[in-house]
Order: sequence, then C-alpha cells, then structure tokens
Amino acid sequence: MSAVPTPAEPVIEVDGIVTRFGKQVVHDGVSFSIGRGELVALIGGSGTGKSVLLREMIGLHPPSAGRVQLLGTDVWRSTVEELTAMRRRFGMMFQDGAMFSSLDVAANVATPILEHARVPADLLQPLVDLRLSLAGLTPDVGGKMPSELSGGMRKRAAIARALALEPEVLFLDEPTSGLDPITARAFDHLLQFLCRDLGITVLIVTHDLDTLLTIAERIIVLGNGKVVADGSIDEVTAVDDPWIKAYFSVRAMLGDAAVKTDGGQRAGGRHGA
Amino acid sequence: MQTDILEPAVQACRVELGTTSAKLHIAGDWRLAELSRLSDALAATALPSLGQRAVDIDGSALTSIDTAAALLLLNRLASAGAELASLSLSGFDDRHRRIVELVRERMEPPGARKPVRRRGAFAAIGAAAIEMANLVLTHLGYLGLTIAALGRLVVSPASLRRRELFAQLGQTCMTAIPVVALVMFLIGVVVAYLLGLQAAQYGANIFVVDGVSLGMVREFSPLLVATIVAGRSGAAFTAQLGTMKLTEEIDAIRTLGLPADQVLIVPRVLALCVALPLLVFVGDVLGLAGAAMVCALMLDITPSTFIDRVQDALAARHYLIGLAKAPVFALFVAVIGCSMGLTVSRDTRSIGINTTSTVVQSIVIVILLDAFFAILLQELDL
Repeated sequence: MSAVPTPAEPVIEVDGIVTRFGKQVVHDGVSFSIGRGELVALIGGSGTGKSVLLREMIGLHPPSAGRVQLLGTDVWRSTVEELTAMRRRFGMMFQDGAMFSSLDVAANVATPILEHARVPADLLQPLVDLRLSLAGLTPDVGGKMPSELSGGMRKRAAIARALALEPEVLFLDEPTSGLDPITARAFDHLLQFLCRDLGITVLIVTHDLDTLLTIAERIIVLGNGKVVADGSIDEVTAVDDPWIKAYFSVRAMLGDAAVKTDGGQRAGGRHGA
Repeated sequence: MQTDILEPAVQACRVELGTTSAKLHIAGDWRLAELSRLSDALAATALPSLGQRAVDIDGSALTSIDTAAALLLLNRLASAGAELASLSLSGFDDRHRRIVELVRERMEPPGARKPVRRRGAFAAIGAAAIEMANLVLTHLGYLGLTIAALGRLVVSPASLRRRELFAQLGQTCMTAIPVVALVMFLIGVVVAYLLGLQAAQYGANIFVVDGVSLGMVREFSPLLVATIVAGRSGAAFTAQLGTMKLTEEIDAIRTLGLPADQVLIVPRVLALCVALPLLVFVGDVLGLAGAAMVCALMLDITPSTFIDRVQDALAARHYLIGLAKAPVFALFVAVIGCSMGLTVSRDTRSIGINTTSTVVQSIVIVILLDAFFAILLQELDL
C-alpha cells in the first residue's frame, strides 16, 4: 500500500474513448489522465456526453472503443472479481442522490459497510454517524427516510454513502445542481475538504461556474467528441473555442457587475482563490 | 524493532501504563479492511485498565490510517475512560495526524445516542386498523369526487376531455381483448370439460350447455374479466398517476388551471366503465366458444345444437345481469386505482406499494360486490 501521494501516479486514465449511439458519435477519442489527490472538474455543453463518460469510467456503460484504467484496473477488460474489488475503492454520487428509498439514511450509509467490510458491531453506529458528519449532516438525519430530506440534504446523504468505504476516488455527477448558491458553496467547501484533508481524488461533472472558479484545480472541457481544453482555469479560458468563450463570458459579465457594485473585491478575491 | 515493522504480522498496538500517564503505540496499516483485527488487538492490550491516566498516542510506526480506524481508536479510548480532548499525539506523520484530529473533531461522543423506541404488537395492529380506516375514507372521498365530476359532465358535456378518454379506451379496452379472449376461452374449455365428465356418466350431455352458458354469462365472465382488468388497468392507473405525482406533473396540471379530476380521473373512470362491459361481452362469446368446442369434440353436441340449446336455456336477463355488473365493478376498480395513484407519498417505493395494494383491493372489492349482487338478485327473484 503506497500511502505517499506522488502527483505522477495516475488514478484515472481514459484513453481513446469512442462512444456511438446508433449513428450519433458522442465521443471521438477522448483521452486524459488524473493523478492521485487531484480535484478535477469535467465540463461541456449539453449533449457532449459528460455523464456518459462518467458512466463509462465507473463501469456502468460500455464505450464503443477505448480503454479506461481506474485505480490500476482496466474497467472494461477485467473479471467480475477484479471489478468488484475495484468498486469498493471508489465512491459515486448520482445526480439526485439515488438513495435507496426503502431504507433510512443510516441504513443507506451502512449498506456498503455491512456488505464489504467487517466492522465490530458496536462500531457500526459511530462509523455511520462519522460518515454523516463528514458529509456535513447531524446524526439525527440518519433516522430519516430519503423522501423526507431536502435536495441539499439528500445530496449530502448520498456523499455520506459514497464515503462509506473510505474511497480513494470520488465521482460526483452535478453535485450542486438544484441547490441554492449558499448551499452550493458549502458543498464546494465539503468537496475541497474531502480532497485536501482525506486525500481523496475527486472528479466532478458540473455546470456550476462558481464550483469551477472556487475549487477546481483542473478543468477538462469536452466538445465535439473530444477534449477541447485541459488545465487550470487560466489555461482553459485562454483556449480559443467558441463554447468556452461563451461559457466564461457569462462570468465575465457578472464579474463586471461585481466590479461596479463592490469595487472589485469579489472579482479580486476570486482570482486569488 | 525496525525489522518488526516490515513483518506482515506487525503488532498493531501496545500500551505502556505509567502511574499517571499511559503511552499507546500504534503501528502498521490502520484501515477499514483491518477493523475487526484492530478491534481485537486493542481489546487485548491493557487499555481497559486505563483509568484516569493521561494518554499519549505514538504514531511514529504507523504506515497508514483512515477515518474508520481512527474512529475505532478514539471510540475504544473513550470507552476506556480516556478524555479525548486531552489526548496528545506524538510522532505522527502530518497526514495521519490530520485524519485523527479530523475524526476527534467530528465524532459523536459515545453513548450520546438515544435508543429508538419500537412499537409493540398491539400498537402495530391498532396502527394498521387506523390506516385501513383512513384508506377506506380516502376511497370514499375520491368516489364522491368522481361522482360529482361525472355529474358536472352531465350539465356541461363539453368539458369532457375526448382525447384523454379515447386514449384510455385504447389502453384499457382494445389492448385487453387478446388476454381476455384467451383466458375466457380456456375457462370455457375447462368448465365444459369438467361438467361434461360428470354429465356424460348420466347421459345428461345436453345439460352441460345449460350449466356452462348460465355460469359463464352471469358469473364467470364478469368476475374473471373484472379481475383481469383490475390487474391490468387498475394497476396501470395507480402507476401512471403515482409517477405523475412524483414528477410534479399533477401539480403542473393544477397550476396551469386545468381541473385535475376532469383531466385525470373522469377519462379513466369513464373509459373503464365503457371498456369492462365490452370486455365481458368478448369474454361471454369466447367462453361459450370454448365450451362449444369441448361439446363438439367430447360430448357429441354439434355447434348448431349448442346454439339452439343456449337460446332455450339462457334467458336474456342472465346475460343482461352479467353485463350490468360490469360498469359497477369498473367504477370501483377505477376509483381505487386513481385514489391509490393520487395518494402516493413522495418516494418511488410507494408507487410499487400502492400499485400492489390497488390490485389486491380491486380484486377484493370485485368479489364483495359480486357476492352482494348474488344475494340482491336472489332476493329480487331475478
């Protein structure tokens, strides 16, 4: 077990992914690699196949061609046993949480623990409480059913479940969609905390510009079936692509408004972050 | 000591008890996968006799630690009486220290949790009874709502949603014909065959026609077709409306100023009330056809003799009673289906629960109504 994080060690390698639905080509040779401990955002316009790519990376949807290497396992060329072993090492948060509606939140979080780990009986409850607390929930939420939770709480509960088995990689599909800006920012900080303090590699599929600007260390932009840009926020905004220009110009407009109203403090602060 | 660490069976923890202080050495991989082994190792140390000593944890030989193992460590220390806030950590790698500190900050103090109160058997029975009563009241409410909506339709027939009605008729009637035809044909075959076996012993072959036609047209066909429709359309109503409620489509209908009962309930109830008698008719014909086939092959009754005998034996009122029961069954099945669909709670699981419940309730109510009709018509000498 190599516990020392070396930036060179790739955790996720996507190599030449091609995805076709009938005649429609969604991905036409998508390649990138993500190192341990990185916090990466995957963006792109509607229909550029962000969610499909995510599903291909975690072994839910087979690509038409190409290779996905996740935690040293070739996702689409490995045995069921290898895949199961690998699945214990990453967590996935689905867009609407995908909490099991017949179980309360605590039982949802306990499910992967009971299934895959041997935990002393008296430690299960404290462990579930700790997971909830890491996701920013109080232990009393554990007794609630998923249907009783608000959108933000459901997403937090989903993260608690994704964290259950101490994952090395965490995938999140639109973690801040449908949340108010304040809750969304709190969520950003949660992700940053998971990445920084627990050393988890985080990959987010998102549309949220604020998430990109505040926490993403690296942004991968999909467009026309390929990776259009890959790098830090400054590197990505420098790329000459109409979609990227349009996407970030929305922010530039808001930024100008902010400069006018509060003397540029917000815009300045954001660049410093 | 150095060679110890490299060995696989490295001693995970060791306690040195002093008079006022204690030192806990932890080593190796402290991870979720090792949790039960680590728990045993901790239990085997002198940890339980810790008492009030100040504890220092030495993590210099630690190769890795995750939050679950850190929780185990702190949980066991707290259970042994150690003051978590005054623990000191020495020799830890920075990352390991951060994780232990994080867990110390975030963990719930042990024993802070209130036990959950469980319901006794009596309370459970009572709760189920109240739930049942509420269910019946809800259905009665929807029945009233439906009848009121149908009444409004009589006053202003233009408010009928024709497109919805025909869509529902297609789904509840046309597509149900094959399964109704098949099932009733087979029932006709089975009933005629079993009756024929008995009747043939007494040379009373021709009376098989009397028995089959009367039983089929008056009882079997309405009852069985209503059961099939309860399983098909009643369940479909609940699933459709339940999904619409979950995706807020019903709220959207209300918000757009459309009358939800006219758009959703009336077309379904009307469609089923029209569809069921038609399906019962299909069932009557196919049931008799099945019986006629058995009669021709087994009992030497030619189809023309069969038809002559049916005309003699089967008074028109039996046939009409069979058909007349159908819309009543349909009304109850449709109202239960709609009511259960509109009362799903806000999770996907309850759609499944309500759909199952619709089928059970519909079949029970159909049989109850049929029994009621049997007694009523007997008393009326029909």
